[in-house]
Amino acid sequence: MNLKRFLLTALVAVCASSFAFIANVEAGVLGNGSAITDTMQIGTITSLGDRKLDIQTKFEKNSKKYSMVMHPEGYVMTALRGQFKKFKELKKGDLIAAYGWYRDGKWIARRIDILDPNDYLVKRLAADAKAGVYYKHER
Amino acid sequence: MDWGVIILKKGLSYFLIFSVAIVLFGVSAEAKKTVLTPLDKRDWHVTAPQDSDAPLRDYAILYDAGGVDGALGVIGIPSMRTYRHIKCGVDLHNFPFSGSNAGNNNGTPDGKYLYVSDKGADTIVEVNLQTGWPERIFALPKPFGIHHSAALAPNGKYLFATGELTGKMLKLRLEDGATTVLDIPPAPSAPDYPDTSKDGKYVFSGNYYHSAVMVFSQDPFKLIKEIPVGKNPHGTNVSPTNRIVTVCDKLSATLSIIDVENLRVHKVIPVGAGPLHNQIDTLGKYDYISCFVSDSTSKVDLQRFQLVDEFPVHYRPGHNSLAPDNAYYSSQNKFSTGLFTPTGIVFAVNFELQDLDETSATYGKSVKIIPVDGEPHEGRMIFASYIQRWNTGKGQDLFEKGYNLGDVHVSFDNGPGIDSKTRPQLEPVHTADSKRYWIPRDDGKPGITKDGDVYVVRVKAFSYGYVPRFIHVPQGAKVRIILTNIDKAAGLTKNPDVTMGLAAAGYYGPRTMLIGVRGMSIVGEFVARKAGEFEFYCQHFCGPLHLEMRGTLFVDPKGGQASLGVGDYDEISRQETMLDETEHEWIVGTNKLMNTLNEGKEPTI
Repeated sequence: MNLKRFLLTALVAVCASSFAFIANVEAGVLGNGSAITDTMQIGTITSLGDRKLDIQTKFEKNSKKYSMVMHPEGYVMTALRGQFKKFKELKKGDLIAAYGWYRDGKWIARRIDILDPNDYLVKRLAADAKAGVYYKHER
Repeated sequence: MDWGVIILKKGLSYFLIFSVAIVLFGVSAEAKKTVLTPLDKRDWHVTAPQDSDAPLRDYAILYDAGGVDGALGVIGIPSMRTYRHIKCGVDLHNFPFSGSNAGNNNGTPDGKYLYVSDKGADTIVEVNLQTGWPERIFALPKPFGIHHSAALAPNGKYLFATGELTGKMLKLRLEDGATTVLDIPPAPSAPDYPDTSKDGKYVFSGNYYHSAVMVFSQDPFKLIKEIPVGKNPHGTNVSPTNRIVTVCDKLSATLSIIDVENLRVHKVIPVGAGPLHNQIDTLGKYDYISCFVSDSTSKVDLQRFQLVDEFPVHYRPGHNSLAPDNAYYSSQNKFSTGLFTPTGIVFAVNFELQDLDETSATYGKSVKIIPVDGEPHEGRMIFASYIQRWNTGKGQDLFEKGYNLGDVHVSFDNGPGIDSKTRPQLEPVHTADSKRYWIPRDDGKPGITKDGDVYVVRVKAFSYGYVPRFIHVPQGAKVRIILTNIDKAAGLTKNPDVTMGLAAAGYYGPRTMLIGVRGMSIVGEFVARKAGEFEFYCQHFCGPLHLEMRGTLFVDPKGGQASLGVGDYDEISRQETMLDETEHEWIVGTNKLMNTLNEGKEPTI
């Protein structure tokens, strides 16, 4: 093998291993959209059952679907001014923020906030997503 | 038909129609009276529809740990009216609400309790939000030196607290106050402000002497890593999504962002001089940082990881809090230099309410500023809808039925806490068994002299330290401390009304609490009954290195020298002087230890 070829091979090997290292370091939830392990999800309710619900996430690049069960002490309230609601008062199409955690294959909701589409923060998330700054795609 | 009959019949018909109309009108008028008028959400005194349309109700309540006045302030949001104070002890710092830590710093409360740390008494006080009184005192194993107890496990059964003054961390079981205590070497070590990861895995706490954030596993409770961050980290908060931890690097003027998954610093953002505490909104979009030196609130976008706005405050913000609907921000300012009417030697500090609604005409503006008692530390807000209306004859329900949060029932029988049908009304002492008085400025030489059988200790306080830093007196001695504030109050971070303090944490907390204002001296007298090593600290916020302003009082037992291992710690741990003897049953914990990493091994979610 001549020197030129050796150096080229070595350079390719170094670059490849560096890329693999960087890719490995960067692998994680930050910047990659929502993850099942997130303890808060924002989305629109797509189906409702007996203290169970499915949501389709909002404001991120690729919307995802999550199924949730309500914690026995998990409650529902409005995010604005904090009125308590009953679970059966939730409706398909409601935009919600769910707070809880993922455990034993289930996403357990400890609290559900019904978001107001006119709330400034919701409007900000929508405007940002429209401008390409997606929710949970931290830069 | 007779005209008379016709007229009579028509008259009767008109009468009937007229009567029905009056009744209907009356009903509709009555109905109108009870219909709640939907008011604009920006109105000062508007609330969500409630069981009456009382116009003076607030939609949220700010509880503030009042620092040196030993009381919790209860303040309405957005009116900023002070409703009441709840006496809790000596020097209150911060607290979580009971329930779960899901969500932002305000958590997912169940409306039952909050657990406020008392740095002066070295305790945690459980306050029942529904009765409005303290119910139990968690007496911590000594020596500990608590600063903050901000972190609740997601399952609501454990509390994590920092022993800033001794370099320890603690996990406390709320059911009975049993603890696991960890030593955090190497000294000097100052675990400071903790928060828990929302998935039950970790506890994060800044350690300002290590310039690092420590990472503990919640269960089993143990130190697993230290992550180097900027200099002297202070406020440490986990985002609602659990993706990042935001850390205020006090002396680096930056915010370190820690990636929770990889447990390493992901980004460092310049935010303004002297960042102390930060609050993340409920959607994890923005983080609001109090910058002490630059007199401002900095706003960081957590999607872009950029500083996006800055609001001036008046002056020297320390702690901060967010309304549960993210509409308002309360800046808890440490100085009010020149703002208010003087009411005594110590000038009132203040809370400043800022409008966070980006669509509002007053966005970013200060919309209210009020003087407040004490020197408040952390405040947290809760929707007023959690606090039930027990008056007007409904008090019996507190014992028999509990209350509902939507379709979820909450009762005081399902712990943690007292599950009996007794609701204590505790009023722990603030200062006791001691004497304080003011004298003209004493310019005597610092150190210890004898005046008859009294040990006279002259202490000079300044930014940021004491002379002398170490005080030795024998057990049983009569002690007279003369504290003189010799601060020059000059330079960028000094205010002319800077106040210094001296409080010896633990047993001597209620017996010291000396306030040092410029121009005069304060004298405190007490008998040194209990032996041990007691860290004293400045309890009045005086500048960026206020926390580092510390010294040590050694009360030496006969024939020996006090240390963290030599002292009357078992006796002191019982905290019996905080309450009357008849109330000691409500002091729990003491030195009851979970002891090993295996006990209390229950998933924290």
